[in-house]
Amino acid sequence: MIVVENIRKTFELTKKQRKENNTDEKIAVAVDDVSFTCEPGRIFSLLGPNGAGKTTTLRMLAGILQPTKGKIEIQGVDVSINANEARKHIGFLTGSTGLYERLTPNELIKYFADLYNVSDEDFKKRKEELYTLLDMHDFQNKRIGRLSTGMKQKVSISRTMIHDPEVVIFDEPTSGLDVITAENIIKLIGDCKKQGKTVIFSSHIMSEVDLLCDDLAIIHKGGIVYEGTMQQFRENMTADNLTAEFIRIINASNNAEI
Amino acid sequence: MIFTIFKKELKDTLRDRRTIIAMIVIPILVFPLILGIITKVSSSFEEKQKEEVFNIALITEDPSNDFVMQFSAIPDSLGPKKLKFYSDTTGISKEIAQDSIQLGIVIPSNYDELKESNKQMNISVILNETNLGTRDRVKKYLDIIEDNLMQERFDKLSLDRKLTEPLVVSYVNLASSKEMIGKIAGGILPYLFIIFGFIGCLYPAIDLFTGEKERKTLETLLTTPVQRWKILVGKMMVVVLSGIAAATFALVGLFLSLEVFELVENPMILEVVSSILSVQFILSLYILLIPLTIFFAGVMIPVTIYAKSFKEAQSILTPVNFIIILPAMVGFIPGIELDYITALIPIVNIVLASKELVAGTLGFDLMAISFLTMVVFAAISVLVSYRRFGKETNIIN
Repeated sequence: MIVVENIRKTFELTKKQRKENNTDEKIAVAVDDVSFTCEPGRIFSLLGPNGAGKTTTLRMLAGILQPTKGKIEIQGVDVSINANEARKHIGFLTGSTGLYERLTPNELIKYFADLYNVSDEDFKKRKEELYTLLDMHDFQNKRIGRLSTGMKQKVSISRTMIHDPEVVIFDEPTSGLDVITAENIIKLIGDCKKQGKTVIFSSHIMSEVDLLCDDLAIIHKGGIVYEGTMQQFRENMTADNLTAEFIRIINASNNAEI
Repeated sequence: MIFTIFKKELKDTLRDRRTIIAMIVIPILVFPLILGIITKVSSSFEEKQKEEVFNIALITEDPSNDFVMQFSAIPDSLGPKKLKFYSDTTGISKEIAQDSIQLGIVIPSNYDELKESNKQMNISVILNETNLGTRDRVKKYLDIIEDNLMQERFDKLSLDRKLTEPLVVSYVNLASSKEMIGKIAGGILPYLFIIFGFIGCLYPAIDLFTGEKERKTLETLLTTPVQRWKILVGKMMVVVLSGIAAATFALVGLFLSLEVFELVENPMILEVVSSILSVQFILSLYILLIPLTIFFAGVMIPVTIYAKSFKEAQSILTPVNFIIILPAMVGFIPGIELDYITALIPIVNIVLASKELVAGTLGFDLMAISFLTMVVFAAISVLVSYRRFGKETNIIN
């Protein structure tokens, strides 16, 4: 389970950044007063246009960034107090995840299993399950640099899931991927839900959201502008389709600001 | 966990072609290549010098004078020559410029008369000194003639030549050849270590930090339940090991050049090299070099953490390279010795201590001060790296 309470994240701007952004402000607010809860066995989607604060929020959940204010709990562990303990429960996958191209899938998966302290017995079992599920046996000993994008994405998935995390974070996981590879990811997200995992994923592709999500929040300019269940979203929408409704909410938020 | 990271990073690093070239190939080849080229070029130059026939213009109005006789009698073992006779210097410069003659020797017209009256004879030599070896060759010829003339004059006066040498000085050098080489050329060893140690650290440091940021693998690594300091130490150990390996391979290359390829013939150098390659010497050298290499890694890592791309890291570290190498050159400056002040200056202390080590004159107190100073600086640099690595804006592109 993920509980996010009033988190805020600010970054100090360098002189160069202030000049580039044409601002005198020394601090940029990336995320402001964001709260939500993700339940186990449900998929929570964090939607928002580029630069809205989705990735920053997810990086805070994964313990890569520390919130400036507020509290995040992963499986009951406060990320600010015990980030390492919280990270043990998390699997983190992004569409742009890099892999160690000079290693083989076997070496990479073993490395991450060791980092997560997975026992040898569990590792063998998990690895076999994942390799079978993702059809990875044929290229397990090839250098990752020589694999196709689809194969690499399968390696990324195995890396994310090797320690069988209770919480899985997907940050625009299908971004830049071909249809077949994207389909693998969509299937994986669905499987995670079936296994009772807590799933959060960010996207701006409404068809994926429609297909997968139970709950959603729309984030814009660092703040939550809509939160509810997918069913409520569908029922209450005034635009013709989900994408149009998403744009309408963003525009309404902009107008309210003015 | 540190060992897990170290093992993986080492494997990854050893599969990087650039690192292998900088860490193993270049260091091991550089000495055999440099010494091989120098030996080949200098021996072929000497050979050419010995065999080259010099066309020499003897410029005199009297081609039968004693100088001409003596000059003609100089054996070809001192360099073969062909003599041409000219009555004046007209056209000599042009012929030398065209290389049809290599030397012009102007002999006074009253040479025999001056010789008989025991007076000085002025000899002018016209040559182009950009043709290396020409001056040496003519000096050899003229030294023989002058020696003969001296002997003749002493004989004529019935004097012993030793009369002109009232002092017979002999120097008793108490320094061993090891000390001599250590003091004069011992600076080369630490210089080597510093250059190759630095280069050896460079690519792994950039690859393991900036490279990971660029390839977006660092973010994934930071989502694992491993404390950041452990990640830093695991990676840093690989950077340090690469630096030490590069310096070691440079030494291996030097050893191969001397002992296997026999590219240096100087027996004194060979004797010293054999005597310093003892277990005690190598251990002492590594004790000094390990904190130095950690310091290098500690200086590079904050830069590589800060840089957003491989190119940016390289462009920042190139000037740092010069700053590091300058103190290394102190080892070549005569008169600068290891003392209680220089032992407190990082890099300079290791250079001077290594030099003393080669000479076998390094005292325990100065070695300890140099080592501890370097440990303190290495620790500070590691701390700076740790702080940089902990800064969010540095680790996320």
